[in-house]
Amino acid sequence: MIQHLLLISHVSKHFGGNVAVSDVSFAVEEKQIFGLIGPNGAGKTTLFNCITGFFPTTSGDVIFDNKKINTLRPDEVCKLGMARTWQRVKPLGSLTVLENVMVGAFSITNTTREAEIIAREQLQMVGLTDYTTKSAGSLSIGLKKKLELARVLATRPKMLLLDEICGGLNHTETDIILNIIRNIRIKGATIVFIEHDMKAVTSICDRIVVLNSGEKLAEGTPEEITNNSDVISAYLGGGHHA
Amino acid sequence: MKKIALSVIAATAVALPIFIGENPYLIGIMISVLMMAALSSAWNILGGYAGQYSFGHAAYFGAGAYTTLILLTLYNSLNPLVCMAMGIVVASIIALITGSIVFRLRGHYFGLASIAVAEIVRLSVLNLEFTGGAQGILLSDVSLWGIDLNSKNPFYYGMLLVLVVTLSISQYLRTSKTGYYLQAIREDQDAAASLGINLAFYKNKALLISAALTSILGSLYGLYIRFIDTSAVLDLRLSIEIILTAIIGGVGTMWGPVVGALLLVPLAEMLRSNLLGDLLVKAGLVSETSGIGVFLKENLAHAHVLVYGIITVLCILYLPKGILGLFRRVK
Repeated sequence: MIQHLLLISHVSKHFGGNVAVSDVSFAVEEKQIFGLIGPNGAGKTTLFNCITGFFPTTSGDVIFDNKKINTLRPDEVCKLGMARTWQRVKPLGSLTVLENVMVGAFSITNTTREAEIIAREQLQMVGLTDYTTKSAGSLSIGLKKKLELARVLATRPKMLLLDEICGGLNHTETDIILNIIRNIRIKGATIVFIEHDMKAVTSICDRIVVLNSGEKLAEGTPEEITNNSDVISAYLGGGHHA
Repeated sequence: MKKIALSVIAATAVALPIFIGENPYLIGIMISVLMMAALSSAWNILGGYAGQYSFGHAAYFGAGAYTTLILLTLYNSLNPLVCMAMGIVVASIIALITGSIVFRLRGHYFGLASIAVAEIVRLSVLNLEFTGGAQGILLSDVSLWGIDLNSKNPFYYGMLLVLVVTLSISQYLRTSKTGYYLQAIREDQDAAASLGINLAFYKNKALLISAALTSILGSLYGLYIRFIDTSAVLDLRLSIEIILTAIIGGVGTMWGPVVGALLLVPLAEMLRSNLLGDLLVKAGLVSETSGIGVFLKENLAHAHVLVYGIITVLCILYLPKGILGLFRRVK
């Protein structure tokens, strides 16, 4: 039997009369790299916020590792092994790069010494060892994205939700990040990631869900998605008939 | 190097009363300096590390002072240390009630609520009977283990001890999981929560540590001064002075509050006692009969909070990280 690590079941999120996510369902299997794509305002980040406990769902359930998590707080969700990054990076600006990652590591250890060891490992993995004593606020956007990645990895997550981790990066930087993500999967983590860059998504994902105006438009392998006429028209504009 | 500097400071602090033992006025100022340094350090654990600005720390100070003095007037034979412990209990209850309600919210709600709670405490104490109301509480003789507590020196060492304890806790927190978590909360609450930090729990923890230390200082102050009323220990002005000391010295740094207290308390004393005006006139810098001279001699004494205000504005404009920020290069 296939193991579903994450199950999104008929999740809706309304803000007043505004429907941001409407009856979305899908399942993510263990060790998958799962893509969540869609035009601006499709509800991708809102769905992430519902999954990680930042927004309560209006209806529907989020099941992670056989536990219902949509009623939990963000820190409880993290403790269960689900970590996320932010579309707009959130470095702990006045702390150093090393300290930022240590904060993540403290979710699995109580001692400062061990936290530092874990943090250094993760910084090595994303290639930030030269910046350990720099203040996080002073890094460039590319390095901040790497820092986000190192910080959530330090919580040793079973599942990683990456919100536009390649956004604002050039091709070389994107390739580096994608390589890191492949390595993370090899180490056993499952990854869901939101991305605009279609090339990045199709090159790395096993399976993709497309959201449009809060609804699920399509689901399938990268090949199926790139040939889906609904998806093409959603991306190129509703009035366009390809 | 750092160890040598610390030893010198410690030795000076311990030996100071021996040198100025003949001068109770100076010892009094030193006690005020130590107390404000400790108060501001305790506030700094919550305000500086966790970024949760409390504008009502006078409530915890007053809780300690009032609990101790009320208990001692009722039961004269009680050990003052027991009274101090009871003060911590009262302060902790006030802190927990405030924190458990307000820390669910983000933004400035805690700051606003802390003022409200402090005012509720002040007005309650002012209007209740067993607290002495507007008359305050006067304590007759008190002693501990045969030490005469009518002299100032025991309180100098008491305040010094509490300051050392507070600084030690600050230092320990800075390098521990709790300290890192508090700083993460200060920098970005969403990021902190997503990294597994229970925001309400850690904010409450910081508030409790801070309130307990503040309450101990309140108890010591009550025993030292032996007469308290709401304007002395529960006033908003006290809460503000605690914050300004931290801001001017350097918020979020370990030694900032100490530097702030060393600068501000003597300055306030000089203003209050007209020493500054006298000095300037005697030095011939301003004439005694000129407008400025009259202002300095007659009015400045009432305006030490104004001077605090001006220094704070200048600090925020030119030294946003406080005086200690000057010596700390941005990494």
